[in-house]
Amino acid sequence: MPATSPAGLSRRGFLAAGGGLSLAAAFGLSACGGSSTAGSGKSADTLALLLPGDAPKGWDAVLAKVNDKLKNDLGFTIAPQFIAWSNYQQQSLLKFTAGENFDTALQARWLNMVQLVASKSLVPVGELIAKYPNLSKNLDPQLLEQNKWKGKLYGIPQVNSAARFHHFSLRQDLADKLGFGDITSFDQLEKYWYDVKQKQKITPVGVSSNMPKLLVAFAPVGWLNQHDWENPHVSVQSFSGGSFPFYLAQDGKSTGSAHPIPFWEAPGVVDALRKVRQYYLDGIINKDALNVDSSTIQSQFEAGRIATRWAMTDGLSSQSLAPLRKAVPSAQLANVVPLRGGKDAKPNQTFQADNFVVLNVKGQSNERAMQLEDWVSIKENHDLLSYGIEGTDWKPVGTDKFEQLTGYGFPGYALCWRQKLELKIKDITPTENAWFEWAQNYANFTLDPYASFVPDVTPVKRQDSQVAAAMTQYGNPLWIGAVDVDKGLDTLKKAVDKAGLADLQAEMDKQANAYLKGQ
Amino acid sequence: MTNRTVRSGLWLAVLAVPAVVFFLVFSYAPLAGLVVAFKEFDISKGIFGSPWNGLANFRYFFSSGDAQRILLNTIVLNVLFLAATLAAGVTLAIMLNEIRGRFFKRAAQSTIFFPYFVSPVVIAIMLQVLLSGPNGSGGVVNDALTGFGLPTVDWYTEPGPWPWILTFVKVWQLGGYMSVIFLAAITSIPEDVYEAGQIDGASRAQMALRITLPLLKPTAAVLLVLGVGRIFYGDLGTIYAIVGDNGTLFPTTDVIDTYVFRSLRQIGDFGTTAAIGLFQSVVGFVLVSAAVLIQRRYSKETSLL
Repeated sequence: MPATSPAGLSRRGFLAAGGGLSLAAAFGLSACGGSSTAGSGKSADTLALLLPGDAPKGWDAVLAKVNDKLKNDLGFTIAPQFIAWSNYQQQSLLKFTAGENFDTALQARWLNMVQLVASKSLVPVGELIAKYPNLSKNLDPQLLEQNKWKGKLYGIPQVNSAARFHHFSLRQDLADKLGFGDITSFDQLEKYWYDVKQKQKITPVGVSSNMPKLLVAFAPVGWLNQHDWENPHVSVQSFSGGSFPFYLAQDGKSTGSAHPIPFWEAPGVVDALRKVRQYYLDGIINKDALNVDSSTIQSQFEAGRIATRWAMTDGLSSQSLAPLRKAVPSAQLANVVPLRGGKDAKPNQTFQADNFVVLNVKGQSNERAMQLEDWVSIKENHDLLSYGIEGTDWKPVGTDKFEQLTGYGFPGYALCWRQKLELKIKDITPTENAWFEWAQNYANFTLDPYASFVPDVTPVKRQDSQVAAAMTQYGNPLWIGAVDVDKGLDTLKKAVDKAGLADLQAEMDKQANAYLKGQ
Repeated sequence: MTNRTVRSGLWLAVLAVPAVVFFLVFSYAPLAGLVVAFKEFDISKGIFGSPWNGLANFRYFFSSGDAQRILLNTIVLNVLFLAATLAAGVTLAIMLNEIRGRFFKRAAQSTIFFPYFVSPVVIAIMLQVLLSGPNGSGGVVNDALTGFGLPTVDWYTEPGPWPWILTFVKVWQLGGYMSVIFLAAITSIPEDVYEAGQIDGASRAQMALRITLPLLKPTAAVLLVLGVGRIFYGDLGTIYAIVGDNGTLFPTTDVIDTYVFRSLRQIGDFGTTAAIGLFQSVVGFVLVSAAVLIQRRYSKETSLL
């Protein structure tokens, strides 16, 4: 067969034809790109939502009912996309960065909210909320005020208590068996872990790959930092979710100087690192902590293979009791907050929400996204999405509790948490109930001196990126105890110094001092 | 040139149109996006509206202090993968070729080909069970080490063994696949060459070493050039599924692909990641060109170009 080019079409002609087609393709593509709605292949009648975790059991039936009702009430439906927790932080950021046209997403400072605000990817919602009566009557004005960043609200806070305070959920049946009774201090906790290791042959503490940054240097307490549990008054700030933690001076308001210091200079931190290293070597912490995701830790806990896991004052830990009892019929759970001084300790709180529903500037309809937030603020709709179909997935118990009939569990904090509408699970343990109620009251906490300070990463974006990369590589292994403390800290210091830690520190100092001045 | 030849040439060109359009749309048009490597990408302004920032994005990678380690890992791991999979493919093909029972041969072939279809995520889970067991305490390999009186290893915090573990995984994954290519080449070796060997009194081992192996050289050379072309692509799927964001293993496992992927996921900075990606493509192009030129020089008859 003769070659096309020499026999028929000249090389120049062939190239010209190729060029023409290329231009046609380019014009075609640009025509497609003109409208984001058309380009996505989605209808504006269907809102795309990003939610964390796996779709709940029985989700299809609940979603069908939600969409029927939404279509009737507001004329549109929703198409939520669930993203595994292990990937949520990175994938949601990537979707924003790539300019995808989804409508809402769960975001938070501990995720990517700082970067997203800096890159103008989020719609300010402060002034919009007032237009939606069901939404605004369910959001406390104090909550809205404390979640503003430089006077602007960049997401709808999703809370079911005044304060969010992380702590421990543990197997009380094991504590009773080992002769502990109620555990109230960190020393008791530690002894419990070692006894569990020795006598029960299960993993005493479950840590997942997205937890390292909260184990030692976190505000107001690092989860495994004994010094913090005894002195719960620290303020820690980072430029972005995975970046470097600086401790800020507690007397900043009186001195006018925030004096940010690297986390290793803060009292108790290096001791805590050494302790965590010992836990790791002694098998107190699971040795696959750098690889395993949070859902695996949860399933291991519910299978009775882990004695203690992370908990938040959101009333959700007790939901594990029923699945746990399938594996260990005699199991009991307890929530332990080992603060020195117990419920009178008044730890620091910024009162900033841990979770926000944010609106994507590239979303198909920001107005409809707000209508959706208003719609889920109506009790009937809230309950349908949060607890599933009444009679099938749940039934009410009294006025403030519900009984779960199926395994349906929606991540309400990513869409529809409203403090006034939330119900507690019927089987909430007495300890969880007590600490949950404690977290409902603002008076139980000390207002953090930097409560509404949110550093702007823009001037040091490049240094922050490089430092964040170094923290993934050298910080995470150090924090979970996988490397020798002295050697690991030395390597980390060299890496972050090279990546621009001094610039970050100077910028944090400048911005925090400016914040204090404006107070 | 007659009208007839012009017409026939035009029809051939028309036949090529779908392929040309495909490559223009999916391979060449996206090249325009490379411009982002030289820009301070701002989502609200888009690719073409974002301001230029010269070579700042490239400086990010080279000033991070990671570049040298990542380049070295990429080359070392890929050379290991390439050498090990080629050697395994040739060895398995020769062994399969020696099997006389047709049923057993087919069964063996299917069995060693099967891992090619196993997802990297499944491989990661299998490895985790083998190396660390539930909650990172134990694992079949550590149990075996204990059985032999050897100390156990925290595999997921010990970077040293990982180039070998990953190479083992690659051989397990691709050995069977490669062997099928070599088996096809073996079947094309004329029967009379072996008959001549038999007449000369060669044993089966000698025939495999002196006839089959040398005649597989051209196939191996083609696979080698293709492999060299991909040497700067560190097999993201497998490595990332197994290593993830486990920083303790980065010293020996972090390659350009995983670095780019992690940077984009964590930093969300398209400019920086595009710059690293462009660097990766350029070096890959240079390498494949060099490999082809070297191959042309030493073995022109099997050259791809």
